[in-house]
Amino acid sequence: MPEPFHVLVAEDEPLAAMAIEDFLSRKGYRVTLAVDGVDAMERQSADPADIILTDLRMPRMDGKRLIRELRAVNPKLPVVIMTGYLSFGPEDEDLTGDAGQSLEVLRKPVSPQVILDTLERLLTKG
Amino acid sequence: MAAGLAGVFDSGSLMPHGFCLLWQPELLALHVSSDVVTGLSYYSIPVALVYFVRKRRDVAFSWVFWLFAAFILACGTTHLFSVWTLWEADYAAEGMIKAVTAIVSMLTAVALWLLMPKALALPSPSQLAMANQALHREITERRQAEERYTSFFNNLAEGLFVIAVRPDGGFVLETLNPAHARATGLDPARVCGQPVQDALPADVAAAVSARYRECVAVGQPIDYEETLDLPVGQRVWHTVLVPVRDDSGRIVQLLGSGRDVTERKRLQEELVQTSKLATLGTLAAGMAHELSQPLNVIRTWADNALSRLHDGVLDNARTERVLTLVSEQTERMGRIIDHMRTFSRRDSNGAQSFDPAHSVRSAVEMVRHQFGLEDIAIVGDVQEGACTARGRPLQLEQVILNLLSNARDAIVDDRARRPAGKAGRIEVTFGVQPNAHTAVIGVTDDGGGIPPDILSRVFDPFFTTKEVGKGFGLGLSIGYGIVDAMGGRIAADNVDHGDGRRGVRVTISLPVSRPSQREVEYAHA
Repeated sequence: MPEPFHVLVAEDEPLAAMAIEDFLSRKGYRVTLAVDGVDAMERQSADPADIILTDLRMPRMDGKRLIRELRAVNPKLPVVIMTGYLSFGPEDEDLTGDAGQSLEVLRKPVSPQVILDTLERLLTKG
Repeated sequence: MAAGLAGVFDSGSLMPHGFCLLWQPELLALHVSSDVVTGLSYYSIPVALVYFVRKRRDVAFSWVFWLFAAFILACGTTHLFSVWTLWEADYAAEGMIKAVTAIVSMLTAVALWLLMPKALALPSPSQLAMANQALHREITERRQAEERYTSFFNNLAEGLFVIAVRPDGGFVLETLNPAHARATGLDPARVCGQPVQDALPADVAAAVSARYRECVAVGQPIDYEETLDLPVGQRVWHTVLVPVRDDSGRIVQLLGSGRDVTERKRLQEELVQTSKLATLGTLAAGMAHELSQPLNVIRTWADNALSRLHDGVLDNARTERVLTLVSEQTERMGRIIDHMRTFSRRDSNGAQSFDPAHSVRSAVEMVRHQFGLEDIAIVGDVQEGACTARGRPLQLEQVILNLLSNARDAIVDDRARRPAGKAGRIEVTFGVQPNAHTAVIGVTDDGGGIPPDILSRVFDPFFTTKEVGKGFGLGLSIGYGIVDAMGGRIAADNVDHGDGRRGVRVTISLPVSRPSQREVEYAHA
């Protein structure tokens, strides 16, 4: 049996995180939950995931900064963003530019099935 | 002695005075005619004096005139008696008459000198005339001044009225000017001079009498807004009362001016509504996030449950849990929507008694989560139930929300200038001063502060430090208007937190009272 993909989910709403965790686990993923950007950084350095699923607005460290810090370590790390309202501006060129190849944005409310499809697409692309 | 006295009066041995004149007819005629004319003339003078004194009963020192009359009468008698002694040698009688004349003359002379200072002190007719002229001038000036003030009173566009304060504490509507009569619809002919309770409808009389009593009690000008049902309809008045005291210090009158501010209030309300919608606009992004959170929870749980159903791994316990959670999340969304709806609703209710702390907490709760996501913590303990303010609770909430929104903007801007990514902190405080008459609300940020030259202008309408497209510049000035209408004050200061952080503290002071027992029970229920 091949090693399951490891996904790090950074989401400050624990209820949403629980449902995503349950769904992805049942679909064969190893899931690690983080409650904010700082927590996610710590968990990623302790046990690196293959792909990141993150909210943008979170306490302590928001999603954009989290992505920049993670990319500083691993520029090719694929990232899926789930967001309620934020979009990207010119100042986010570094996220949406060339490196945007491995970045997808999902609008909340988001279905776990859509999350799964997106993770698969990014992981198989790499 | 008796014989001696009889001898003196025995004129038999004496010669009449005519002998001395050798009975020359020319000399006799000269003496007789001169003495008779002098005597009769002297007799006429006292008659004139007595006539004068009796006619002019106001004349000063009238007894002196009587003395003069007696003195001149005596002098006249001596002259007439000289005619008698030309033929009859009654020199003793003549001597007696002269003695009486001497006494009266002496009395008159002494009295005249004694009286001199007092007589000199009497104003002369010319002095009296001058005084009279001065009086005339003053009367004319006063009449002109009175006409001028009457003209002010009658022609000023400002509504003016005068309330008499009776010694028993009652109030009488003494007069009102035509401008006030027009503005209120009151008929001066019917209401002037009437007790307030007779001149005005009962509820209006009760309301204004309470204000008059307040003005008398504080003894100083008072200034307030009131809504009154008058013959012209329900209008909002801005009224100023000024107490007038008499010499003993008792307040005897209240001078009042009233301005119909109904239209201004309406415009102000429009402006408040506009600014509220603007505030909502700036909050809309945050609101979308607030709503997207529970919506997202529902979506993920529902879809996950469906997936489990398809995979045949959905048991009853999990189904119940999912449905309960969906129900709870929709309730959470309903509360957010309700709050937005309440907030955006036109606040058409009049002023009411409410707990200002509740408005502060509502505003804080509306943005706490959203600010938390931007790493801005709202701290501070706001206890409800400590006091009651008068006004519109939603408007106060709007002011607090606006202050919080400004504080957040300042922190975010400050962070952009120094991208060290520091956490922001907004402190919200609420306290009632020991006298229990004033509540103080403080909103303090650590967003770097405001340049001192700008600080004094932050409450001006349309003044903004934000870039074009961000904020309307109406927030703080509207806040100023709302707080002012509640009888409170709002002020902004720079503060140094002492640990390198600096920021702005906005302080709102509101007049409050202790909540009544009923309100306390209601709040606890």
